[in-house]
Amino acid sequence: MSCSNLTMWMSSKPSLSDTSSLSFCSSLNPFQLPTHTSSSSNTPRSSSVTPIHCGLRELRSRIDSVKNTQKITEAMKLVAAAKVRRAQEAVVNGRPFSETLVEVLYNINEQLQTEDIDAPLTKIRPVKKVALVVCTGDRGLCGGFNNNIIKKAEARIAELKGLGLDYTVISVGKKGNSYFVRRPYIPVDRFLEGTTLPTAKEAQAIADDVFSLFVSEEVDKVELLYTKFVSLVKSDPVIHTLLPLSPKGEICDINGNCVDAAEDEFFRLTTREGKLTVERDVVRTQTADFSAILQFEQDPVQILDALLPLYLNSQILKALQESLASELAARMSAMSNATDNAVELKKNLSIVYNRQRQAKITGEILEIVAGADALV
Amino acid sequence: MTLNLCVLTPNRIVWDSEVKEIILSTNSGQIGVLPNHAPIATAVDIGILRIRLNDQWLTMALMGGFARIGNNEITVLVNDAEKGSDIDPQEAQQTLEIAEANLRKAEGRRQIIEANLALRRARARVEALNEIS
Repeated sequence: MSCSNLTMWMSSKPSLSDTSSLSFCSSLNPFQLPTHTSSSSNTPRSSSVTPIHCGLRELRSRIDSVKNTQKITEAMKLVAAAKVRRAQEAVVNGRPFSETLVEVLYNINEQLQTEDIDAPLTKIRPVKKVALVVCTGDRGLCGGFNNNIIKKAEARIAELKGLGLDYTVISVGKKGNSYFVRRPYIPVDRFLEGTTLPTAKEAQAIADDVFSLFVSEEVDKVELLYTKFVSLVKSDPVIHTLLPLSPKGEICDINGNCVDAAEDEFFRLTTREGKLTVERDVVRTQTADFSAILQFEQDPVQILDALLPLYLNSQILKALQESLASELAARMSAMSNATDNAVELKKNLSIVYNRQRQAKITGEILEIVAGADALV
Repeated sequence: MTLNLCVLTPNRIVWDSEVKEIILSTNSGQIGVLPNHAPIATAVDIGILRIRLNDQWLTMALMGGFARIGNNEITVLVNDAEKGSDIDPQEAQQTLEIAEANLRKAEGRRQIIEANLALRRARARVEALNEIS
């Protein structure tokens, strides 16, 4: 406000030609800048926020760069938001499959309840070696997302070491890969890279690896570490026992085995399982008549053998999808914080800039007026 | 009576419409399914699925899973399914060759398990192609 008044007043002054004022300004500029800066930094208001010590030109370039950063972070936020929607779509697309699978598994399990089943994927062996599948993201700039899951993995590794057990890591995602590459003392079985959207193929690659590790008895337990998507603002890194699967189609806890993940993690898992059982309850009423007449073409064990890899795959895919969703959500919130921060920084910088500019103009006018007075 | 076939993969619904007849490769050999089939549950091997629509036969490569037949409703749950017409012949043939080479090279129990799986998948894809031509 006052600034514009000053300029108006200056331009309305008939005694001054534009060229003289311009030449004055340009000649004075380099000398006046430091004095102005010091005066502006001494003012109580600007120092109360953050003291910004720099010249007008620097201020302008800082404002520009903050503006650019803000644009970038805003764009990243929007992209993440769009991707979240796509990730959600992927989950929705996979729903018919997983629902039918759970339904069938439930049906078959009902009929197999009495039999003693011995499928390779459900075999519970004494645990000597554990494989950890660590799902991280491919990119940074998503807050503590990658750090959290890696920290969780480290904690779990320390825990296993404490129990005197061997372990190996299967790392999924670029960030995890680079972390484990830098730490050669952690045995890594395989590095896998995630893609933009997890597909069944990717899940299959992990499942194949895990399957062969487990069936060839190289490892006796497989745990999946991923970030569980709770909501857009909340996600938890969790540990999920993948193998051995329990024939009930639930993530098993090995009874009487001391190497289970810490209790709280299992409780978190039970909430997940709680969700699953709710689904199953709904299904039960629908298909009660169906299962009564169903015949098995093969041995029930063989059918279970065919179903469990499917279940394994869908579990891995689900974990990958949740991990991606949490990554995107984390990025979204990180980027929206960054944008907010940029907006505030820009505001503060432009206040300082305007104040300095105004002070400079005032100073120039004072000098001109004094000069004119001296001539008279 | 019409027969409805539904092929589901974790990613998407590959097929969900009416068919006349299907031939499914199960773990205990191929079975043909016509309308009013007895309700059965069967494991599906890595292999091909042939579908008859009127007079036309279609093939699909299935990557192992499970099928449930009943009430003129066939539900096939598989890890992956590809229609024969969507498979690139050259690429499929190459994958098969690579898989064969890998199996020959494989050492140790684990590698053999992996190589065998890959080979069977590659073979199913090539078979699906050959059925068409």
